[in-house]
Amino acid sequence: MQSLVDSSKAKESELSDSVEGLVIVDPPRSGESNMAIDEALLRNATPAWPVVLRVYRWDRPTLSIGHFQQLEDRNEVPHLSELPWVRRKTGGGAIVHDRELTYSILIPNRANYSVKGHNEALYRAVHSSFVEQLQELGWDARLSESCTCAATVEKIPAHFLCFSRRSPVDLIIDNAKILGSAQRRSATGLLQHGSFLLCRSQSTPELCGLLDAPGGSNPNHQKKMREIAQDVASLLEADSDTESSSRVLDDWIEFFVETLTQGVSRLLPINWQNGSISNLL
Amino acid sequence: MSITPEQLRYCDSHEWAYVADKSSGIATIGISAFAVEELTDLVFMALPKIGQTVTAGNEFGEVESVKAVSPMYSPVSGTVVEVHSELVDKLESLSVDPYNEGWIIKVKMSDVAELDRLLDWDAYKKQCNH
Repeated sequence: MQSLVDSSKAKESELSDSVEGLVIVDPPRSGESNMAIDEALLRNATPAWPVVLRVYRWDRPTLSIGHFQQLEDRNEVPHLSELPWVRRKTGGGAIVHDRELTYSILIPNRANYSVKGHNEALYRAVHSSFVEQLQELGWDARLSESCTCAATVEKIPAHFLCFSRRSPVDLIIDNAKILGSAQRRSATGLLQHGSFLLCRSQSTPELCGLLDAPGGSNPNHQKKMREIAQDVASLLEADSDTESSSRVLDDWIEFFVETLTQGVSRLLPINWQNGSISNLL
Repeated sequence: MSITPEQLRYCDSHEWAYVADKSSGIATIGISAFAVEELTDLVFMALPKIGQTVTAGNEFGEVESVKAVSPMYSPVSGTVVEVHSELVDKLESLSVDPYNEGWIIKVKMSDVAELDRLLDWDAYKKQCNH
């Protein structure tokens, strides 16, 4: 049983046996489909399943709200009520899935998985991997190491949007949150969702994405990033999927997958293979 | 009189049950101090309704902390007869006193013998220190 917390975490050194991992890069789907797939993965997982990393996009800008959030609270933020919405099984705040990439990681409940119930470790492993990769590319990326969660103790309502909140493991560039994640545990395993903002969405103009961030002190790097941002922003529009532009997006998806697999592999020695949903469901 | 952790029975998933009088068949249920400490900042809790049936080892509610939603499992089977509904607005009391102020539900047990399958304090403590 996947309990509230893990009181018997195996040490990394005890995890000598590698486990299988399946990478699924999905085409854009509706919010309902995307969440239904992740819920089905968590519901049907067995100890014999591989660790699953699913990377996906959304076929139109969509609002996902956290498991415990009230839908009417979206009225706090202009324009959100115009978007289709879906509820996530994971916690945290609402996300506008527009010019971004989404991932889900499923860790089936198996006794020798050190991440059983250990949410902080998986958050930190994945986000730290992004920090390091982005730093190598020239961004001043770091973990937030600050938290707006104290506000809940003082009974101040948390901001409706995930990317307007801060938790210690959020990925920050120039004070803008670029990557946030949330989790769900069940008797069958642990599901972690995450969203990586590539470019500013028109629905949330106050939130910038990776390619809107200044990107360090190197002016050449900043210029290059601005150019890439324009390309990516245009090709993320639904009607601009030309062959040449989608190659640019494919590069970002490849970067995303590599960084995620490296992050999860910090916790578990995983043999990753490519696959599809039909391998499991 | 305050309930102490030594008086309780535990699931390995960190929920506790307290039965003051076996003949009443009423079990008070909560989550342990260890779980509360590990979960850290609790922000939401979803509770069952009075009259709802719960089964030992199955979910009876959910809690969110650090953006993670986790199930709470019932240590015993039976019918919910009381719900600490004020708790959802003062989750911080779980950190202060998880065994008294932090009780979650009370269940009229359908099988009192299920209590014998739960861990006692020494066994639970050993699990937490593993």
